[in-house]
Amino acid sequence: MKKLGEIALGIVTSIGGFIEVGSLATAVQAGAAFRFELVWALVLGTLCLVFLVEMAGRFAAVSKHTVTDALRERFGFNFFSVVFLALTLVDLLVLGAEIGGVSLALQFLTGIGLRWWALPVGFAVWLLLWKGSFGVIEKGASLLGLVTLCLVVGAVLLHPNWREVAAGALPSLPHKERAHYWFIAVSILGASISPYLFFFYSAGAIEDRWDESYLWTNRAVAGLGMSFGALVAIAALVLSAGVFGTRGITQIARYDQIALLLTPVLGKWGFRLFAASLGIACFGAALDIGLEVAYRAAQGFGWNWGEDLKPVDDAGFASVYTLALLFGVLLVVVGLDPLKLTIFSMALTAAVLPLSVVPFLVLLNDERYMGKHGNGWLGNAVVLVIVAISFVLAIVSIPLELLGGS
Amino acid sequence: MDLIRDVLDKQLVDPEERRMGKIDGLVLEVEAGKPPRLEAIEQGAATLARRFHPRLAGWVEALGSRLYRAPGGPARIPWSKVRDVGIDVEVDLEFEKSRLYAWQEWLSDKIIRRIPGAG
Amino acid sequence: MMAEKMEKKEVRVELLLGRKVLDPEGQPVGRIEEVRAEPLGNEMWVTEFLVGRSAMLERLSVQAFALAPLHLLGWRKKRGSYRVPWDRLDLGDPERPRLRCGVEELERL
Repeated sequence: MKKLGEIALGIVTSIGGFIEVGSLATAVQAGAAFRFELVWALVLGTLCLVFLVEMAGRFAAVSKHTVTDALRERFGFNFFSVVFLALTLVDLLVLGAEIGGVSLALQFLTGIGLRWWALPVGFAVWLLLWKGSFGVIEKGASLLGLVTLCLVVGAVLLHPNWREVAAGALPSLPHKERAHYWFIAVSILGASISPYLFFFYSAGAIEDRWDESYLWTNRAVAGLGMSFGALVAIAALVLSAGVFGTRGITQIARYDQIALLLTPVLGKWGFRLFAASLGIACFGAALDIGLEVAYRAAQGFGWNWGEDLKPVDDAGFASVYTLALLFGVLLVVVGLDPLKLTIFSMALTAAVLPLSVVPFLVLLNDERYMGKHGNGWLGNAVVLVIVAISFVLAIVSIPLELLGGS
Repeated sequence: MDLIRDVLDKQLVDPEERRMGKIDGLVLEVEAGKPPRLEAIEQGAATLARRFHPRLAGWVEALGSRLYRAPGGPARIPWSKVRDVGIDVEVDLEFEKSRLYAWQEWLSDKIIRRIPGAG
Repeated sequence: MMAEKMEKKEVRVELLLGRKVLDPEGQPVGRIEEVRAEPLGNEMWVTEFLVGRSAMLERLSVQAFALAPLHLLGWRKKRGSYRVPWDRLDLGDPERPRLRCGVEELERL
């Protein structure tokens, strides 16, 4: 019975975890420019993520180590430091984008410029990490994250041609603006398969003290949670197609345009609900990324770590998330456009994906960690496909950014 | 036992399974005519820095001794204290006594404690 | 009768990894991949060193199935690693370990 509760909580948390500024921005861009043609990218990205997250959870539950722990223990400090630097740099940029997302939402609601909101937002995130416990953060963020379901409601009320939407779930080649099409596809994949998501998930499994009895819970949370999250992103895409695409707005040039995503369907409340969704989703993501950067440092160096500990007991851990948040705030305060920062960091995420996925593949087959719960041939085949996708993404993402980015 | 595959970089834990850092270095004592003897586990930023470049280790140590009075030498745990080598390496040493946390204690006392809500 | 100079020295395992090993003629043999030790009494003593051509790949220890696509492309590990007993490796200068015997005398893995 308790496990059912944990499954429910996990699913709800995962919805919030999936939805953040990257997934929203890329979905909206996709809907505006290409209507339903890029739904397949979201489906593919989600599928890959479900597998990776399930494996990350299984890895942590069985070995009682996080993926980051094992990355250093198994491959050595020198290799680890390369992965550490690359992933942390990307995380810091994404963190800036998320703080920017919350600030943007607050700008929509209050009219006060987003650069003014960066510091208070960063402080609020910091305060929650400083004083909160993992359970509180998890439950709080997940319950609030349910507000994003308004996007699903909005999409349904729009009465789109659902058959066309379903057709978009099958991969198709673009007929126009090829570079832009593939660039958004790559960004969607980068936004969906964010490494921080599955690293963070494995740390969360340790925080929640999962063990081998949680393997089915893990499968349920990974499968259902990520899928429901994807539904919200698809809803955003559908809304964007209906609200922007049909009016000929194929490029979201100014970010205040996206605030109008729900207004045609839900009126003034639509505007507020969208802003709330954006703000809450990004706030949750900022919490997660702040934690993940600290987790990576602590687990890499073997420090004591845990969100349930008080800062005096894990000084290193607390210092890292504090510094990370300062950097994220700085990125917004200096005036970087949050949407441009988002799209750029999604492309960069895609570019460094192989660095996390390839070692992960090796770890998933290491008997010392996985015992008899290692990947079967199917799991390995899936990961090999993901590895192949990650290499393709890594090679094309930066050139596409230059050719087809906004 | 394979020292590089099974010992180096592994997680160190105390008898209560509390984390005590990773094994950053392993020291062998080499004497002519005898096989090298595994002397100690070493931990610390300097040890890690040395794995990139020996000069980095010097800078890290100098910085450390400027910021807080670290009693001489890097944090070493004699191999005799090791109880078990598995997925983690268990040592017969209490977490609080581990010198590894000297800098975190300094950080905790000097900065963290001054901020409200720290614990 | 001269007393043998008993010089004790410290050598770091983490710095041995990847070090190039030369034979008595100065020819490269390979790189140190592993240091093997066995317990005796209360102590752990080094029994042998593994010297091979691809130290980094060893550490990464890529499983066979993952290498399969590479094998398809024609890549193969060319030679097995050498097993060097502790007394056949001169660690006088830990940065330049030297074999004390010919490569032919060594067992392969």
